[in-house]
Amino acid sequence: MLKILATTAKEVLLLLRDRTGLLVLFLMPAILVVVITLVQENVMELTGQSKTQVLLLDQDQGELGRLLRKQLEAGSLEFVVWDEKQNDVADIQAAVAGGDYQVGIVVPNGASTRFKEETARLFQQGNGPAKPEDIVSTSLHLFVDPGIMAGLRSGVTAQLQMALTTIALEAKIAMLSKTLRETMDSLGAPPELIPLDSGKLHALFRQSILTLTEDQGDSRAAGISLYNPVQQNVPAWALFGMFFTAIPIAGSILQERRSGISIRLSALPVSPLVLFTGKAVAYIGVCLCQFLLIVLIGTFLFPHIGLPCFTISMNLTAVLLTALLSSLAACGYGIFLGVACNSYEQASTLGATTVVAAAALGGVMVPVYAMPHMMQRLSIISPLNWGLTAFHDLLLRGYSLPAILDNLGRLFLFFAVTVLLSWKLARLRQ
Amino acid sequence: MKPGNASLSEPGPNVALCARSLVKRYKNSDHPALHNFNLDVQQGEFYGLLGPNGAGKTTAISILTGLFPPDSGIVRIMGMVFRERQNEIKQILGLVPQNIGLYDKLTARENLTFFGKLCGIRGKKLTARIQQSLVFSRLTEHALQPVATFSTGMKRRLNLAVGLLNAPQVLVLDEPCVGIDAQSRHLIHEQLQDLNQRGTTILYTTHYIEEAQELCSRIGIIDNGRIVEEGTPTALLQQSGIANLEDLFLHLTGKELRDT
Repeated sequence: MLKILATTAKEVLLLLRDRTGLLVLFLMPAILVVVITLVQENVMELTGQSKTQVLLLDQDQGELGRLLRKQLEAGSLEFVVWDEKQNDVADIQAAVAGGDYQVGIVVPNGASTRFKEETARLFQQGNGPAKPEDIVSTSLHLFVDPGIMAGLRSGVTAQLQMALTTIALEAKIAMLSKTLRETMDSLGAPPELIPLDSGKLHALFRQSILTLTEDQGDSRAAGISLYNPVQQNVPAWALFGMFFTAIPIAGSILQERRSGISIRLSALPVSPLVLFTGKAVAYIGVCLCQFLLIVLIGTFLFPHIGLPCFTISMNLTAVLLTALLSSLAACGYGIFLGVACNSYEQASTLGATTVVAAAALGGVMVPVYAMPHMMQRLSIISPLNWGLTAFHDLLLRGYSLPAILDNLGRLFLFFAVTVLLSWKLARLRQ
Repeated sequence: MKPGNASLSEPGPNVALCARSLVKRYKNSDHPALHNFNLDVQQGEFYGLLGPNGAGKTTAISILTGLFPPDSGIVRIMGMVFRERQNEIKQILGLVPQNIGLYDKLTARENLTFFGKLCGIRGKKLTARIQQSLVFSRLTEHALQPVATFSTGMKRRLNLAVGLLNAPQVLVLDEPCVGIDAQSRHLIHEQLQDLNQRGTTILYTTHYIEEAQELCSRIGIIDNGRIVEEGTPTALLQQSGIANLEDLFLHLTGKELRDT
């Protein structure tokens, strides 16, 4: 135990003396989590997971524009209204084509009047309903950025179409109600014989009789945040930073080999396993500090830069255990790299490549569900995936410790296997 | 003693370091690095191992100190078979490697503390050993300086001091005076002679023949993986009829350059 502690103390001293290296270890994941989350916040907008801005040019200034805004503002669309006196259709088209806005909509001059007239023609008194082919549909102009994702395009157009359908339906009901009343009046029927008045028709129309309810399992009850880039990125980039410490760990082993320290260590009454453990303990401390830093950034910095706040609403012990076992896995990999490689150049190239690949495969950069099917199946081999899935199970799905034991077991097994392989390899190298 | 005689007999009771029939062959090498290597170093002896580049000195020292095992053969330290009692042997064995095996970013005291703890020394005993080592290496005033700021001579002295932390009964030194000035070399020589007089058995490899002649009570010349001549400096010269050790060395190992 004394020898492990001595090795840990030595590693801590070496880390503290290499302030630049230490700064990089903390700065790199900190910068990445901020930049990537800010970038992905925009992607969330593009994919419709947050409010999308719609540019509106209301040349009509009538009821149609007002109703459209009323219908849509409750949803995920946010209107930016341009002055119809200073802008025309070409300006809207240019703004959307240039990527300044993803969606633009123009309500042409006279649209409200034409809409009313055509609705009235549908129920022309005396002549009965007009033929559908006689009705001229009032058209609004829609511009959509060709660069936006197909999902957002269909989502926005569906919302707009739904709003227009609702407006048209309400107008038809109002007109039907009016026509019905006028017809009954002309027949001299008392008002109580009129089956439905206009107000009742509207109320009946708005009455919901078929609904879709999303079941969010335990997460809503636990007060857990729904998926957002912060809840994804804070654990993801913390894991990335933690696994990147594999490179300095490997570097320290290779430095000992290059300088001849390892020869001296081999001649001392101490097992390589003791030295590996001492080294791992020091770097586990580094990994946990990295995790803490990223969590603090997510909790305290993000709300100040317009991002949602990171929350760990429950299972703090399980979250810490996941961070600890992820650190163990990262340290095990670093030790293995240090023993297996022949030079720092080899270790840094191989280490960086494998960690970035494992991060991509594990869902750090793109969520696993967004990957092709084959890559989703492959993601199970990435230790970062095990850590990230465990974090997501705790932070997003509201699972408790027993539910993530399989992934925690994989992380520990990875540590044990890499350290044992390193020990065997170190003996073989002799 | 003529070379090879050691292989014919069991080590005597006073043999501190004994190698029998050591063979070591590296991968991708046509010739064995050690070929039937035999050596006996008596307790309290100051034994010099001389040899040209590639003769097998470093391989021999690595096997004798347990850095790696031989393909065949046996090593005994103070009567204990190395592969059977590694931990006990490592407690009484000191190694001063040719490379300066120290952490540059740590101070002299921090290096001594770390290696001392790995030797299993703790508490007041460790404090005392560190103080002795600093005095021994004349580095007391520089104890709190990082090793990176040291001259080569200072590093070599500290390198030696670390090897002595566990007060070894058998000390193995691999070219401990390479690249240092006369003053540091003189100090190291004095300290080693003092250690030897106090009973420490020393196995010393060097390229400097005059150094071996000055320090060692017995010299072995190694070439092609085995000892080709062995004896006290005086006896070697008398037996060969050659005027000085350098000529004897060249006579035994040839004048061809050993670049590989």
